[in-house]
Amino acid sequence: MTRRVRRSGLMMPVNTERFVNSSWLRHSDSLDYDLEDSVPQSEKDNARAVLPNAIQIGQKGGAEVSVRINVAYPEADLEAAVRPGVSRISHPKTEHAEQIRRVDAIITRLERERGIRPGTIEVNAMIETTLGVANSYEIASSSPRVRTFSPGTGYDMSMDMGLEMFVGFDQFFYNRGEGELIAMALGQNRAGGVYMSDTSGSVTDGDRTLEQAIANRKAGFRSGGGLHPNVVQPQNIGLTPTPEEVDRARRVLALFDQIDARGEVETDLDGEAVDAYEAARARELIEWAAACARRDAEKAAKRAASLAAEEAAGG
Amino acid sequence: MDPFVRRSYLVVSPLNEDELAASWTHSADAVILDLAGPVPGARKAEARSTLAEAVPIAGKGAAEVFVRVNKDLLYADVEAAAAPGLRGIVLGGAGCAEDVARADAMLGEMEARKGIPEGHLQIVVLLETARGVWNIREIIAASARVSAVGLDEPALGRALGITPCEEFDPFEYAKGRVVIETRAAKVQPVGVSHPYGLLPRFDDADEIHRLALRGKNLGFAATICPHPSWVEPVNRAQTPTEERLDFYRETRRLFADAIARGTAAIPYPGTGMMIDVPVDERARLTLELWERCAARDAEKAEAVRQASG
Repeated sequence: MTRRVRRSGLMMPVNTERFVNSSWLRHSDSLDYDLEDSVPQSEKDNARAVLPNAIQIGQKGGAEVSVRINVAYPEADLEAAVRPGVSRISHPKTEHAEQIRRVDAIITRLERERGIRPGTIEVNAMIETTLGVANSYEIASSSPRVRTFSPGTGYDMSMDMGLEMFVGFDQFFYNRGEGELIAMALGQNRAGGVYMSDTSGSVTDGDRTLEQAIANRKAGFRSGGGLHPNVVQPQNIGLTPTPEEVDRARRVLALFDQIDARGEVETDLDGEAVDAYEAARARELIEWAAACARRDAEKAAKRAASLAAEEAAGG
Repeated sequence: MDPFVRRSYLVVSPLNEDELAASWTHSADAVILDLAGPVPGARKAEARSTLAEAVPIAGKGAAEVFVRVNKDLLYADVEAAAAPGLRGIVLGGAGCAEDVARADAMLGEMEARKGIPEGHLQIVVLLETARGVWNIREIIAASARVSAVGLDEPALGRALGITPCEEFDPFEYAKGRVVIETRAAKVQPVGVSHPYGLLPRFDDADEIHRLALRGKNLGFAATICPHPSWVEPVNRAQTPTEERLDFYRETRRLFADAIARGTAAIPYPGTGMMIDVPVDERARLTLELWERCAARDAEKAEAVRQASG
């Protein structure tokens, strides 16, 4: 499976115009427009109404666009959200496979009606409650649209578990274990991250985010997301291999090819083992770095074209 | 199951007269009269015969009273325990749904025989085996009487051949599983943070509080107290603090203002935190929990006052 490059995903209430209008300038790989918990009940209709325009704006910087719907209103929200330009629907607080099957069926109909290639829209089955954790396997395997799976952590989960977060130890280790194993057992991308102590609860701390993103990448994670523009670039940077790492990976590969040609299985580079396993890791790192570079070029080109078009229209 | 405030379960031996006589004075939300652990085989019948008097004594301070039964003497223990003042039984050693279904049927029979409202008697399950931990979902689902589940850590340690040591917790996975599966099924997770589940001490209220609070922050809603010195710090750990209440009152105020302005996502001033619907919901639930804790504490204090007077 080719891996989409989704290092960053900036989420915002879609009814807040000033967030949406500048969203495409944030360098985010994905823009996640929210119809759910950041939108007040009285604004739900308005949020659906402004969503098509937001989807257009979001694509101006080359971001993928995803939409988070409400569990209570799948029909109305999907009616507004499933349209060309949207690559993913996030279904929050998923507790039963049946919810995802229903969403899948509605998306399938809308794809057909709206000229979207069948099966292209992904579903992000978000696990945010203990019942969701308990039913994770059924949920993750409920639809081929679920291609990435994340363990249930975070604010809603902490509430359902009756605990206060930001107390300095990992409170979601069981959830992580379950979610990651299930994603891998089903051949899906595992999203999420490793535990790092956080006692501030800050959603705006770029330095912390960078440190976390680097740790996540080293543990095999490739994606991130957040609620504040400050965390976008730290995730893009932290989840992209550095030039030094790419260079070293090339040397590992070249060295392994040499010994392999001689019929040997193991040697070392600066005191570290080089074998088939390390070679595979190096290959993955090089491929991932190349995919990140392609994605960055794609976004930069789209952004430059949109800025030029705006200048032409404005001047 | 209706929400209940049951933060502490104080374990008392019905054969220890002093312990029993003082059992209602410690402000435990629940008292467990234990027919299993502290009662030697030869004295099981004697311990059972004390229950008619012991249950009302344990309940004098408005604690909910449970009796821990022996799995292999289930019928006799349940029959002796069941009385209008009893809240339920503590059942150790369940390995599968059938074990719970058997106890459920006996409790139903006793309710009919002894004039106890149908469905009143609850079951608190303590898991003692790997099989029980693995089958926790069917164990909870086996009876609507199951109101709480925890690990019997010493028994589970013996079953798994574990030599307890302070340095690491052998039951991280098991505890995670208990928290997730109980909360998913809307029953109460019971436990404490390592090492006091395996190596309890009774002389350090600060440490008891720290580990009970850590247990709460792993998702446990109650702790079994092997000694009266645990009750106060455990109750305190499971009750929202003044500092959190202030924070949550302010959260609710800020969020209500934001909603009036048409937004449900605002920063919490002076922090990097954000308030949206679940943050407000958490604030509401915590303030509500505090009120229920305060009401329960007042109820117990009043009962103690009357019983003392």
